Amino acid sequence: MLVVENLSKTYEDGTRALRNVSFEVKDGEFLVIIGLSGSGKSTLLRCINRLIEPTEGRILWDGEDVTAADSAHLREIRRKIGMIFQHFNLVKRSSVLKNVLAGRLGYTNPIWSIINRFPTEDIELAYEALRQVGIEEKADKRADELSGGQQQRVGIARALVQDPKMILADEPVASLDPVLAHSILGYLEKMNQERKITVLCSLHYLDLVQKYATSVIGLRDGQVVYRGTREDIRRMTDREFKDIYGEEAERVSAGTLTGGRENG
Amino acid sequence: MAETKGKNTGRSLLHALFSLILPGLGQIILGEIQRGIILMSSIVSMGLIFIWRIELAGRHEPNFLDAFHKSLELKPVFISLVIIGLIAIWILNALDAYLHTKKGRRGGFNIFFLVIVVFFILGWEISEINPYKMITKAPEALTPLSRVLWPWKAAIAHKMETVSARAAVLSPCGENPPGRPKEVPGKPYIYVEPTCGELSKLDKNNKIIEGTTLTVFGKNFKPNSEVNLWWIDPIGNEFRLRQRGEYVVTKTDSQGNFKIKIIMPYRLMPPSAEGKQIHHVEARQQTPTGAVVINDPLKLTISRMIETIFMGMMATIFGIFFAIPISFLAARNLMSGSWITLTIYYMTRTVLNIVRSIEPLIWALIAVVWVGLGPFAGIIALSFHSVAALGKLYSEAIESIDPGPIEAIQATGATHLQTIMYAVVPQMIPPFVSFSIYRWDINVRMSTVIGLVGGGGIGFLLVQYIRLLDYRAAGIAVWFIALTVAMLDYVSAEIRRRFV
Ligand SMILES: Nc1ncnc2c1ncn2[C@@H]1O[C@H](COP(=O)(O)OP(=O)(O)O)[C@@H](O)[C@H]1O
Ligand SMILES: [Mg+2]
Repeated sequence: MLVVENLSKTYEDGTRALRNVSFEVKDGEFLVIIGLSGSGKSTLLRCINRLIEPTEGRILWDGEDVTAADSAHLREIRRKIGMIFQHFNLVKRSSVLKNVLAGRLGYTNPIWSIINRFPTEDIELAYEALRQVGIEEKADKRADELSGGQQQRVGIARALVQDPKMILADEPVASLDPVLAHSILGYLEKMNQERKITVLCSLHYLDLVQKYATSVIGLRDGQVVYRGTREDIRRMTDREFKDIYGEEAERVSAGTLTGGRENG
Repeated sequence: MAETKGKNTGRSLLHALFSLILPGLGQIILGEIQRGIILMSSIVSMGLIFIWRIELAGRHEPNFLDAFHKSLELKPVFISLVIIGLIAIWILNALDAYLHTKKGRRGGFNIFFLVIVVFFILGWEISEINPYKMITKAPEALTPLSRVLWPWKAAIAHKMETVSARAAVLSPCGENPPGRPKEVPGKPYIYVEPTCGELSKLDKNNKIIEGTTLTVFGKNFKPNSEVNLWWIDPIGNEFRLRQRGEYVVTKTDSQGNFKIKIIMPYRLMPPSAEGKQIHHVEARQQTPTGAVVINDPLKLTISRMIETIFMGMMATIFGIFFAIPISFLAARNLMSGSWITLTIYYMTRTVLNIVRSIEPLIWALIAVVWVGLGPFAGIIALSFHSVAALGKLYSEAIESIDPGPIEAIQATGATHLQTIMYAVVPQMIPPFVSFSIYRWDINVRMSTVIGLVGGGGIGFLLVQYIRLLDYRAAGIAVWFIALTVAMLDYVSAEIRRRFV
C-alpha cells in the first residue's frame, strides 16, 4: 500500500507544483492520474521515487517511509519501483539489451556493472522481458533504430527486469498514436493483473482512462480536485471529464482502435 | 509663402557655405549629424593620406612644394585623379548641404559613391597594384610554378659514376719537369703538354695576366660524353676550371679520346708554398649507372611529414587529456548549482575563449622562444589551442546531454557512478570522438603552418626550401602536405560518420 500524505513541492523558482496532495493506493490497483498539462502529474510521480525531492509531506510505501530513506535505502526502494516515461528515456546509442539490463543496475555489483558485466541470470531476465513485450529479436539493435512503440516496449522491459512491485508511468502513450497506446497500456494492464504490480499512470484520453483505470485522481494546479472509483469513471461523461481535465482533453476515436495494427 | 521660400534659400546657401568652409559642417548644422561626420572624416582622412603619399614620393625634397612637384612627376595620373576627386567631393558636399536644406532628406544625390571612388584610387596607389607588371612578368612566374606543380624530377636521381685521370704540372718551370703519367691499358688516361708553365697572375690593377696554355690529351674515356676539367693545387684544393668565366667542358670523340687547350689558372698560394710546386690537372667524367636513388628532398619530406602527423597527434592527445576535466568546469548545466561553481564556470569560459582566440601561430612564436626551435615548440602551440577549442566543444556536448536517460537510470536504483557510466558516458562518447578526430585533422593542417615560424615539421622544411629558391623541393613538400591533408580529411570524416 502506498500512502501519500500532505505532499507539497515548491520549485526553486517559486512554482508551487504540488499543494498538500494526499491519497492512498492499494496494492494491485491501476491508478490513473489526470490533469491539465502543468497540473503537477510528472512532479507527483517523480516525488514518489524521489527523483524530485518533495518540499513537505510524507510518502509511505509498505510501511516504509520513502521520504526519510537515506541514499542506500532509497536505492533499494527505487529498484522495486519501475518507471516508464513519455519520451521513453532510453540511452539512444546503446543497444536494446544494454538498455534493458540497466534495469538490473540496482541489483548488480556496482564494480562489475561499471565494466559492463552482468550475471548470466540478469541477461536471461533481460531476454525474457524482451520476449514478453515481443521484441526479443531487436536485442542487438541500437535503441534509436527502433520505432516509438518499440522504444516504449524497451522501456517496459527495463521496468520489468527490476522485478517491480510498483510501476510509475508518466504519460507513457502521449507520444504514440492511439493504436500503439492500447498496445502499450495492454502490457501495463497485463503486468497489473498477472503479477499484481501496482500501477500509477498519468493519461490524457478519457476512453483510455475508462478502459484501464481501477481508480482515478484528478489534479489541478497541484491540488487533488477529483477522486473516483472504477465505476465513477465509467459513468463519467465527456463534459465532466473536460471540467477536470480542461478543454484540451480528447477521446481516442473508436474507429482508429479497431483499424490497423502496430507494425514491427 | 514667397517669404518662407526666400528664407529657405537663404538657409540653404548658409549651410552650403558652412560645408564649403569645413566639409560636413553644413550637414551637421542642418541636423544630419551622421552624414556630416562621415563626410567630414572621409575628406579629412583622404587629405591626410594624400599628403602622406606625396611626402613619401618626394621624401628627398627639402619642402612640401618640391615634394609635390616630384610626386606629380613620378605619378601624374594618381596625383591629378585624387585632386580632381577631392575638389569634386568638396564642391558636391556643399551642394549636398544646399539641396538637403532646400528639399529635405530625399533631395540630393549620392556623394558617397564619389568618396568610395577616391578611396579606391588611394588604395590602388598605397597597395602598389600594378597589373602591367603582373602581365609582363608572368613568364617569370612560370618556371617556379611549373616546378612546384610538377616537382618529381627532384624526387629521384640516377646514381652517378665518376671516372677520372690526372696529370702533373710544374709551376713555375724549372729542372726536372714531371713526365707523362704511366698508362694503364683500358683505364682513362690523360697527359698535358707542356708539363710545366706559369700560373695566371694579377697585375697592379687586379687585371689577369694569363698563364701558360697547356694542351690536355685524354683517352679511354666514355665515348661521346662530356668531360669536366679540374685543377688541384699543391695544397690539395680542388676546383673546376673556368676559362674567361665559363666552365671548361669538352666532349670525347667516338673512340673516347679528347684534346683541349687550357690556360693555367690563377691561384693565390700561401707564402709557405713559395717556389716550385707540383699542380695537377684532372679530367672527370660522370655517367649514370642506371641505379635510381631517392633524393634528399623526398627523404626529408617524408620524414618531416611523419613528424608533422605525429606532432598533430601528440598535440591532440595532450589537448584531449587537459580538455576533458576543464570541459566539466565549463559546462553550464553542471556548474549552475551555486554562485561559487558559477564563478568557476565563467572564469573557465573566459580563459578558454581568450586562449582560443590567440592563433596557434602566436603560441608557436612564444613556444619557440620558450623551448627552442623544433617540433616540441609546435606541439606546445597546438596543445594550447587544442585544449581551449576542445574544452569548449566538449563542454557544449556535456551541456546538450539528454537528461531523460539519467533520470531513467537513477529510477532503477543505480548508484551515482553507475548513472554516469550508463546514462552520461554513452551520450558523450560520440561527440567526444568526433571532435577529437576532427581536432587531429586540424592540428596536422595547422602544424604545417606552425612549421613556418620554427615549430618543426614539414612547414619548417618548406620554408627553408622556399628561402633557398629550391622550387622543386618546395613542390615536393607542398604535394605531400596536400596529399596528407586530403587523406586525413577523408579518414576523419569516415570515422566521424561511423560514430555519430
Ligand atoms: N524543474 C522545474 N523547475 C521549476 N518549475 C517546474 C519544474 N518542473 C516543472 N515545473 C513547473 O511545475 C508545474 C507542474 O509541472 P509538471 O509536474 O511537469 O506538470 P504535468 O506533468 O502535469 O504537465 C508546472 O507549472 C511547471 O512549469
Ligand atoms: Mg508531465
